[in-house]
Amino acid sequence: MTAILGYTGRAFLLGTHAFLAACSLIVDTLFWIVVAPLQGKGLRVRATVEQFVRVGYSSLPIVMLITFLLGAILAMQSAYQLSRFGVAYLVPNLVAVAAVRELAPLMTAILITGRSGSAFTAEIGTMKVSEEIDALEVMGLNPTKYLVVPKFIGTTLAVPLVTMVATFTMILGGFAISTAYLGQDPRVYLESSADAITMKDFVNGFTKSVFFAMVICVVGVYRGFEVEGGAEGVGKKTTSSVVTSIFLIVVLDVLFTYLFFSES
Amino acid sequence: MAQAAGNLIEVTDLVVKYGDHTVIDGMSFNVRRGETFVILGGSGSGKSTLLRNLVGLMRPYSGCIMFDGNDFTQMSDHDRLEMRKKMGMCFQGSALFGSMTVAENVAMPLLEHTKLERSTIDIMVKIKLELVGLGGFEDYMPAELSGGMRKRAGLARAMAMDPEVIFYDEPSAGLDPIVGAGLDMLILKLKQTFSLTSVVVTHELPSVELIADQVCMLDQGGVAELGTLDEVKRSSNAYVQQFFARRPSEEGDDDARYLRTLRGDVDRD
Ligand SMILES: Nc1ncnc2c1ncn2[C@@H]1O[C@H](COP(=O)(O)OP(=O)(O)O)[C@@H](O)[C@H]1O
Ligand SMILES: [Mg+2]
Repeated sequence: MTAILGYTGRAFLLGTHAFLAACSLIVDTLFWIVVAPLQGKGLRVRATVEQFVRVGYSSLPIVMLITFLLGAILAMQSAYQLSRFGVAYLVPNLVAVAAVRELAPLMTAILITGRSGSAFTAEIGTMKVSEEIDALEVMGLNPTKYLVVPKFIGTTLAVPLVTMVATFTMILGGFAISTAYLGQDPRVYLESSADAITMKDFVNGFTKSVFFAMVICVVGVYRGFEVEGGAEGVGKKTTSSVVTSIFLIVVLDVLFTYLFFSES
Repeated sequence: MAQAAGNLIEVTDLVVKYGDHTVIDGMSFNVRRGETFVILGGSGSGKSTLLRNLVGLMRPYSGCIMFDGNDFTQMSDHDRLEMRKKMGMCFQGSALFGSMTVAENVAMPLLEHTKLERSTIDIMVKIKLELVGLGGFEDYMPAELSGGMRKRAGLARAMAMDPEVIFYDEPSAGLDPIVGAGLDMLILKLKQTFSLTSVVVTHELPSVELIADQVCMLDQGGVAELGTLDEVKRSSNAYVQQFFARRPSEEGDDDARYLRTLRGDVDRD
């Protein structure tokens, strides 16, 4: 019993410690984004664009493919259920709303965690192991400004945009299946999709994706700075970066969904 | 302090801990302006840790590090940043940025801290690289260089801002004797040309013979012996004698101590 309490207590303390450390990382990052440029300390524009391209543009093929297939799966599964009640014409509504509010932001965030969150941890972890972070500091270059800020801005811009594309391809996936195999009229399908989505759904999905983006970046970077030891440490932290990030994304998703439900 | 003018770095009663594990336990020494100060000690004796404190990458547990008359441990972040511009550091593994070319590595501090034209910076980078014998390697990636060349490139980067002092962490470790000797010659050359102060961590005895003005021998978290190489060699301290004679420890003794070090409970008797 005491062992369990002790374990829980320690886990809680460690969690609190990590949370506070992550918060201070966020504050530091925001300082270098908002305050420092005003003091004439500059922003690394080229590196930021590079990160935007790496996180966003390069992830498009895989995100589009997977969300297209998911849209198709969703259409088939919901047609199977809805046709039993004779409301198969609701498939486009279901696919569209699910894509906008939930599945596109979530899938995009998870895929980008796997592609870029892990890469952030590996990059910063490797730099830490090879003393490159120390070298930056000795040269009087701030690691947050140099490494974190471009990733933060790049990710926060890229993820919502990729999410929009993903929403579109997911609806397209449902459209393809419904018109090709389930015999729905293409025009009717598109019209019901458009009717089903409200501005609020859209804002909901968009807001989520912005927060998911921040989680991906902060967790990835934070785990990178935690790396100790050699290559093995990098591997361990990369794994834990992906796990933590996906966990936090799902928890945030629950919170958001609950908030949006309770107010309507 | 009476002879403060002659000292660039003054370390007093320095104590450094990792958690509960005391690595440096009350260390004092002075580094004079323009000299080559060699820190000797076995593996794990805290040489890198000492350097990390001297350049301000770590805050000591207690004690005082004066750099150029200012207390390095107490100053504001802004002042420390200014101080850092007077320091260069050569890391054990060179710590070049892997995603940048050699020239970009050397240019980095200049781009950040000066408002020089790009063309001026390019010329300065070229000069620094030629200084360390890497002229023509501007566009190579660090991964394409040999170990010795990487160390030289790291040195060029450390020299970029024309510092007053350069800290070297085991410059010739992992290099063959000829390349290592080349680096020693380079350290000497920089000292003579720019009257640079150098703080060199090493355990290569031939290298010490060549470059050292003053030798500081570490043992058990403290200074075992301090002085010119000849003075240190004449020391009656048992560990110092053993180190210079390259005599192994009593069998078993060393391993048991190493194991205790790993567990973190080193006895300091
Ligand atoms: N980040 C760290 N956390 C905990 N202990 C450390 C850390 N870095 C070094 N140590 C310990 O400090 C001691 C001195 O290490 P170091 O300064 O690297 O020695 P040296 O450079 O002389 O080989 C070693 O016992 C090592 O285990
Ligand atoms: Mg070392």
